[in-house]
Amino acid sequence: MSELLIEIKDLECNIDNQKILQGLNLKINKGEVHAIMGPNGSGKSTLSSVLAGNDNYEVTNGSINFLGEEISEMSPEERSWKGMFLAFQYPVEIPGVSNINFLRTALNERNKYFGIDSIPAKDFLKMVAEKSELVGLNNKLKNRSVNEGFSGGEKKRNEIFQMAMLDPKLSILDETDSGLDIDALKIVANGVNKLKSSENATVVITHYQRLLDYIVPDFVHVLHEGKIIKSGDKSLALELEKKGYDWLKTDENI
Amino acid sequence: MIIKDLNHNSLLKENSKLDLEALNLGSFPKRKEERWKYTPLRSLKKINFHNQFNFKIEHLNSLGIPKIEGLVIVLENGKFNSSLSNIIDLMDIELLFLNDGNIVNNSQELSHKDYFTNLNFSFLTEKVVLKIKPNVNINEPINFVNIISDDNCISNTQFNIDIYENSKLHIRQYFLGSSNSKDGFINHRNQVSLKSQSSLTIDKFQDLNQNFNFCNEFIDQEQESKFIMNTFSASGIILRNDVFNNVNGKNCHSELNGVFAPIEKQHFDNHTTINHFVADCKSFENYKGVIKESGVGVFNGKVIVHQDAQKIEAFQKNNNILLDDESKIYSKPELEIYADDVRCSHGSTTGRFDEEALFYLRSRGISVKKSLELMTLGFINEVIEKSNDSAYKEFVLKRLLKD
Repeated sequence: MSELLIEIKDLECNIDNQKILQGLNLKINKGEVHAIMGPNGSGKSTLSSVLAGNDNYEVTNGSINFLGEEISEMSPEERSWKGMFLAFQYPVEIPGVSNINFLRTALNERNKYFGIDSIPAKDFLKMVAEKSELVGLNNKLKNRSVNEGFSGGEKKRNEIFQMAMLDPKLSILDETDSGLDIDALKIVANGVNKLKSSENATVVITHYQRLLDYIVPDFVHVLHEGKIIKSGDKSLALELEKKGYDWLKTDENI
Repeated sequence: MIIKDLNHNSLLKENSKLDLEALNLGSFPKRKEERWKYTPLRSLKKINFHNQFNFKIEHLNSLGIPKIEGLVIVLENGKFNSSLSNIIDLMDIELLFLNDGNIVNNSQELSHKDYFTNLNFSFLTEKVVLKIKPNVNINEPINFVNIISDDNCISNTQFNIDIYENSKLHIRQYFLGSSNSKDGFINHRNQVSLKSQSSLTIDKFQDLNQNFNFCNEFIDQEQESKFIMNTFSASGIILRNDVFNNVNGKNCHSELNGVFAPIEKQHFDNHTTINHFVADCKSFENYKGVIKESGVGVFNGKVIVHQDAQKIEAFQKNNNILLDDESKIYSKPELEIYADDVRCSHGSTTGRFDEEALFYLRSRGISVKKSLELMTLGFINEVIEKSNDSAYKEFVLKRLLKD
């Protein structure tokens, strides 16, 4: 029996008084890859934001239990320290802050939380060299300002690079495939696969089946109107690719 | 404002306590005057100052500044403090100290329109004159430290810098208030003369704690000279910098940069005037304000391109970040152009940090405080990078971020 990583129960949440998630349930064990699919506006990105702790979203009901702890009131930074990671659909540009300085700060803030000494510069740079190779991130990008002037593909690679550096327990990839050409998609997927272990889990949020050819999920869930309306194995993704979402919506209504 | 003249300045011999209105200083600035519109002087006006000097600081490092090497000139409470200074003999530099008896207090000097300039001349206690010979390039910065360490003490000081033809110099100025003094006031004047093909960079750092600091700065540039001034304002009740940069020769480069970071009702004020009198010159201004916790910032930059000054390139920029609703910035970039063939631009922005960026940083495990610090660093970095000494940069950053 594998070990439970996160359990989301009856999760409801609002943004600007509009209900987005309406009773979502999901359980993820260590070592698993879950894909969440669904039509536009079904609440996929909301789910990722809520899990990462974006306070624009208000959790009105339900619970999120992450590694035995209720986290729905926890700050984003604390969630990160405990092993949550969100690869953003639209990574934010931070002018004037170098990628390297940003990551070193992130690691040191986490170390501080756990009462560990700051990472020595030499070890840090070695780690950067190792992890950036994983996604073939250009050396120059490491010293540039965070995401500033990066191409769409570079931004997504940078997300996976950060994921590699932070070594999270749960990684949520929010439409990481959007804006990627097929070569970049393979590189990013390859990076994610290499980071996979029996100790962590990955949630892949996507519109299209394509990414799932490269990051093969154990489970596929369909999100509609803020709820998971169907779950299955990877064949469900193929079926969705062929038939679209409408047949499921009809099913649900019956 | 009252000054108790315990130092018996030449102009004030007869009275020991003076109502300043008896002196011919002109009238105390009022808010209705354009130049003082944004600078409330109530907190300064109500103080009774004295000008008796005494030395209280035993070591410069008690002021929280990093170890300074090379030539160090220290004034404390308006007087040259030789024990804190390090006067090494530099062959190509002539250094003069004029004080008490040998300052000629010429009443003609009081004809300035500016009240604080008149005040400075009337109560002047120490004037340092630094001259660098022609064709000399001095790489190591020369340090000028001006300290206030006594409550209610007014320090009126001057620093004249003459750079002769084809010479190059770098000066670091520190204006410091000791952390246990309050309501002191450094009313300082810098007078800079740049001969042709000379170059001067001044890094100016202001960290006054509970004291005041006004700097009036007059820079005259002859042809092909280069002047750069980077002003970093970290703390003080009111800091006010009035820079008058007169460009009198062709092919000059003038550059004024600054970062000001007032908090807790501090008021930091940068007024600049660049006068382009002749053609073919370039000037650049880049000031960044980071304002929080009811701090107030002012940027009023004026570039005047006079009638015959063609082919001038002048760029003026002021960007500000307000970290909360209580903080304020008054930004007024001005261009006055009387020539017809020039490239000039000016711009001002004021905003907040992007919420999305804050969430992004936090989602990577960086606390709110540290995230804001990182974003502030990113915002002011462009100006901090103007200094090429990493230890100095680190120190200035730390104080600007109030770390």
